[in-house]
Parts: sequence; C-alpha cells; structure tokens
Amino acid sequence: MYKYFISICFLFVFVDGFSQEQKIDTLINSKTDSIIYKTNYGLRLGVDISKPILAQFNSTYSGFEIVGDYRIKKNLYIAAEAGYEKETTSEDYTNSTSKGNYIKLGFNYNAYQNWLDMNNEIFIGYRYGFSLFEQTLNNYTPNVNTSYFPATTNTTPLTAMDLTAHWSELVFGFRTETFKNFFITFSGSYKVMMDVKEPENFKTLFSPGFNRIFETGTGFGFSYTLTYLIPFKKK
Amino acid sequence: MRKIMPLISFFLLINTSCEKDDFCIKNPITQSLIINFYDDSSKETLKNVKNLYVWAEGKTDSLFINQTINTITLPLNSSATETIYNFSKENVVNQFTITYNPVDEYVSRSCGYKVIFNDITFSSDNSWIIGFTPETLTTIENQDEAHVQIFH
Repeated sequence: MYKYFISICFLFVFVDGFSQEQKIDTLINSKTDSIIYKTNYGLRLGVDISKPILAQFNSTYSGFEIVGDYRIKKNLYIAAEAGYEKETTSEDYTNSTSKGNYIKLGFNYNAYQNWLDMNNEIFIGYRYGFSLFEQTLNNYTPNVNTSYFPATTNTTPLTAMDLTAHWSELVFGFRTETFKNFFITFSGSYKVMMDVKEPENFKTLFSPGFNRIFETGTGFGFSYTLTYLIPFKKK
Repeated sequence: MRKIMPLISFFLLINTSCEKDDFCIKNPITQSLIINFYDDSSKETLKNVKNLYVWAEGKTDSLFINQTINTITLPLNSSATETIYNFSKENVVNQFTITYNPVDEYVSRSCGYKVIFNDITFSSDNSWIIGFTPETLTTIENQDEAHVQIFH
C-alpha cells in the first residue's frame, strides 16, 4: 500500500493556467443572461453489455450486470451496480473457478461543463464493492521442478463456499446522451482490495465484481453500459 | 486544464502498479534431498564416491552416471510415500530408502503448490555404506546444507 501513497497525492494536484485575461475597465456592462437551460433529474437504469459480449468470445467467463444511478445535485449522482460473474482461472499449476454475486455502491461526480441543455458527462467516482462468492479448485499439479518423478495432477474439485470480498474502487468514465434520455457510457476502474476471505491452503484468485486479484491486492475493470433515464423532474 | 487533471492522475495511479505475479521466481519450489558423502574413518572429511551411479528403483535412466563426487541432490517422488534409490559404487549396489509424508502447500498464483516432505525416515541395506546420520528428519525446509551424511 505504501508505494501508492505518492501516486494518490497526484490526485490532489492541479494546475491552473490563464492565457487571456480581460481588464476590469474594458468589460462591457452587459445584462446577465436570464435563460436557464433545464435538464432532467431522475433515475437512470441499464445494463453493462460488455460482460455478455466478453462471454461470447471467452468460454471461461460469463457475467451480467445491471447499473443504476440517481441525480441528486447538478453534478452529483448516487450510483450502484449489481451483478453476477463466473470465471475460470487457468494458471500454470492450478485451475480454479470463482462464481458469485456482487454489489457496488458509491457516487459519480460530473466534471464536464455542458453546453446549453446537453447532458454529457466526463465523470470520476468512488465505489465500495462487496461480493459473496465461492471458489472451486478444479485441479492442480504440484510444482516439483523435476521430470524424474513427474507430479500427479490432483483432479478432486475442492470448493470453498461463502467467500467474501470488500474493496474500494476509483471510477473514471465518459457518458453521452445519444437519443433523448438514452445514454451510452464507457468507464474504467482501479480497485484496491480491503479485505478478502481466502480459502484454506489456496488463494482467492478472482472475485466477482473485482476481477483478477493481483499479488498486491489491486485490480482493474471496465464497462460499457446502455442506460435509460426515467425523468422525475426538470430543473 | 483543471478538467484533464483527474484523467492524468488516474493514469498515473494505474502506471505505478506494475505486477510481478506472472512468473514464478521462487525456484526451487519443492525441495530436494541433499546427501553428503563422508569418510567413515574420519567422520569430518568429505570423501568422493568413485564411479557413482544413482537411479531410483524401477527406473531405467540414472540421475548420476559414472561420477566421482561427494555431494548429490536427489528429487523425491511426490506421488508416493517412499522413494528407493540405488547407489552403485564401483559396481556394488547399495539400496537407500527414504519414507516420508508428502503434503501439498499453496505458494502463489504463478508458483502453484509445493510439496513438503514431512516425517522422513532413512534406511539402507548397507553394502558399501557403513552408516548414515540422521535416521529421521521432521521436514526438508531448505537447500542450504546437506540433509543426510553418509559414511563409507
């Protein structure tokens, strides 16, 4: 974790630059614009279509995710995702399958200044993720580094039930309104594992919602979602 | 500029997290048995075995062929509880039996499982081997020093 401290500091760095500045006495005394462009507020629901597409091309993976968010302020949304994932991890000496459900809760902040009544976003967000899953060690071959006595592969599946994982996620994404109230979103996320329950004499290699768990307890994810906004009010 | 900063900082965060769990660099994972040969008349001095052949019982290929050495490293059979080696010195065969309890222990994603040999017992039919020490060993943990000393 310590090695990320410096990197995390970069999150708080910003640089302001101005190339033009008007002197106050040259300002034209204009009236303030009285037109306010209203945008829709409401509940946005949809699915992540990247997961079913990925499952088409990858026989070891299947997944499904529904997403939703609710606009609470001009630039602030409460966001949540819930889904199911199953993935078989093939390593040199082990083969294991993780499957289970997950939920992520958090918020998105829209950093994009829209023109007129447009409703596009470049957002950053935070999520807290939780998953409940099981992991089965399908087979493994002990790493014996000798060809004189080849190791025998153990093919008795061993399932660890009720595994849990908690993590934090930083999200960055783009969202465009393509038709009225219909949005396409592409986002990526960087995840840091906070707590994961490991099976006995094995390790949790994949957690639903988190994806592959790297040695340092970090992970990456991306999503491509189609959402529809149910407008509640305009303001 | 202010809008692009979160993007830059985000990618900085990603770039610092190079991962190194794709290759197993902790070799050897499963430990082998190291045997040193000593002179029986002066038990502190290493003594070469002349024309040494080493093969496991039931195997046709030898691990050592016609060598004159005083240290050998032997793999143990992880799928059995006993490994019988034939040590041939100047065409005299001495059988050396190692019994143990193999346990698989998880190491890491890239290295998989290692085999730990516990409760090891050695025995010999003493043709050219006069004695050995120790007779039992709780476990083989490292490759730093010899596990068995054989006197001849």
